[in-house]
Amino acid sequence: MDIAVTAHSLTKSFGRREVLHGVDFEVQAGSVFGVIGPNGAGKTTTMRCLLDIIRPNSGEVRVLGLDPRAGGPDLRRRIGYLPGELFLEGRVTGRKLLSHYEAVSGPVPPGRIDELAERLDLDLDRHTRKLSKGNKQKLGLVQAFMHQPELLVLDEPTSGLDPLIQQEFHAMLREARHNGQTVFLSSHVLSEIQQTADTVAILRDGRIIAIESVTGLREGAVRHLRFTASHTAAPDAVALLTAVPGIGNIEVLESNGGVTLSAVLEGAIQPLLHALGRLELTDLVLEEPDLEESVLKMYAMPQKEVL
Amino acid sequence: MSHPGKSPAGTRLPLFRRAFVDSWRSTLAWAAGLAAAAFLYLPLYPSIGGSDQMQEMINALPAEMTRALNYDQIASGPGYTQATLFGLIGFLLMSIATVAWGAAAVGGDEESGQLELTLAHGVRRVQVVLERALALLLRVLVLAALAFVIVALLNGPSQLDIDTANLFGAVVLFAGLGLLTGTSALFVGAATGRRTYGLAAGAAVAVLGYVFNAVGRQSPDVEWLLRVSPYHWAYGNSPMVNGADWAAAGWLWGISAALVVLAAVALEQRDVGA
Repeated sequence: MDIAVTAHSLTKSFGRREVLHGVDFEVQAGSVFGVIGPNGAGKTTTMRCLLDIIRPNSGEVRVLGLDPRAGGPDLRRRIGYLPGELFLEGRVTGRKLLSHYEAVSGPVPPGRIDELAERLDLDLDRHTRKLSKGNKQKLGLVQAFMHQPELLVLDEPTSGLDPLIQQEFHAMLREARHNGQTVFLSSHVLSEIQQTADTVAILRDGRIIAIESVTGLREGAVRHLRFTASHTAAPDAVALLTAVPGIGNIEVLESNGGVTLSAVLEGAIQPLLHALGRLELTDLVLEEPDLEESVLKMYAMPQKEVL
Repeated sequence: MSHPGKSPAGTRLPLFRRAFVDSWRSTLAWAAGLAAAAFLYLPLYPSIGGSDQMQEMINALPAEMTRALNYDQIASGPGYTQATLFGLIGFLLMSIATVAWGAAAVGGDEESGQLELTLAHGVRRVQVVLERALALLLRVLVLAALAFVIVALLNGPSQLDIDTANLFGAVVLFAGLGLLTGTSALFVGAATGRRTYGLAAGAAVAVLGYVFNAVGRQSPDVEWLLRVSPYHWAYGNSPMVNGADWAAAGWLWGISAALVVLAAVALEQRDVGA
């Protein structure tokens, strides 16, 4: 199977409020697919549609080749799900809760639960309702990963986790991908998607406004540039720079004998280097591409310009 | 990494087991309350219900009041047990317990956000409702069986002179009435996803049933109220004294079963947690 999840023209309304207005995407099997978008964009609703927790009004969803509703329990056993807001209030220990879910969705390889708990530094013998938010989240991750499902659907998986555990989680994602599992995850933090995902979909107001590979996004992203060159007049430097494709926001910061300029670059860096090669540089800073900025730009852009 | 769609052996009815085991404390507490009430009321029969003085006092009460409280029958041991235990304090405890359990089973679980995760696992919604209804049934049966055992135990010492077959019938009706309130709460909770609505529905069945019985017995003009009172279906002919009305028991249990089916259908149809 090449495609793990597809959605075509997915719409969903709650009462009169339409939350999804025709969402389309495909997730390659064995890849990590990240969905990013502001709060209320429809990330959680989309995920719940994959699990048949809510039913779309129209459009088609296929998860591991099946319609989620028709697939039923057998399909959901092949999926690990972490809800966006995890509530665990029972008077049970984490271990008992997990063995309950194992009874429902198992089997779980022996020792797997303890191994995951150890990796995430989670105490399984405490009552779930006494756990902190972060520890509940860890328990949620264990129940999603423990039966090694073909597809992981994770809604804001790192919320509440400290940075060390986040790193461990990222390692778990890499392993899952290495094992051929498919991951569908959402976040409102781009850096997380950037670190873990192969493909990123940007969801805004119930529509996917862009789907790109993370590499592609990086290429399209804005880099901030600053350099100082000696023996050059400011107008000459500006003219040189203006000729480079993708350059914008040129500013002269200093100009006394030498010149210091700042600018932003959107696109390939080779032409820029070529141009800069003609200058006598004394200082050059070319920052990491700022995906956050380009994504925020997409959030703010009117619909048509994005597509 | 993929697994065949089967849960491991030896884990039948996981949702039922979780629902029942997780609530054993609550079941135990209600059982203790019911037992305490029975041990408090029934041994008093020789000095209250059976005494002439008490009978005179009851005769002095307004007739409407004795009818409303079912005190018109407390002169006999079976009537006393019917009026005090099954008709009043036991009914109250059983109703509160079943309404709370029924409303929590699906509506409460959804409202607290936990149903979403359960449904994301390898279960059917129908199965969730049925297994949790089964847990409700078992808890009701525990309370009813306890009432049976305690009354049978106190029968001799408290000079109640109760016929065991009549006691059995009354307990079946007692359980049926509890099931009806509980499944009403379950159904409304499952249909709306709100615990409060479930509580309101279950409480309405219990309280209105009781009130309609009390008012309906006052005059022929309002006798129609008795026909819509589950309380009256169960206890109208005083089962402890006269034996159970098995048709009424059939209705109570049958409607409860139908409400469970409706709850399953309602949950199957709708979005969860939306």
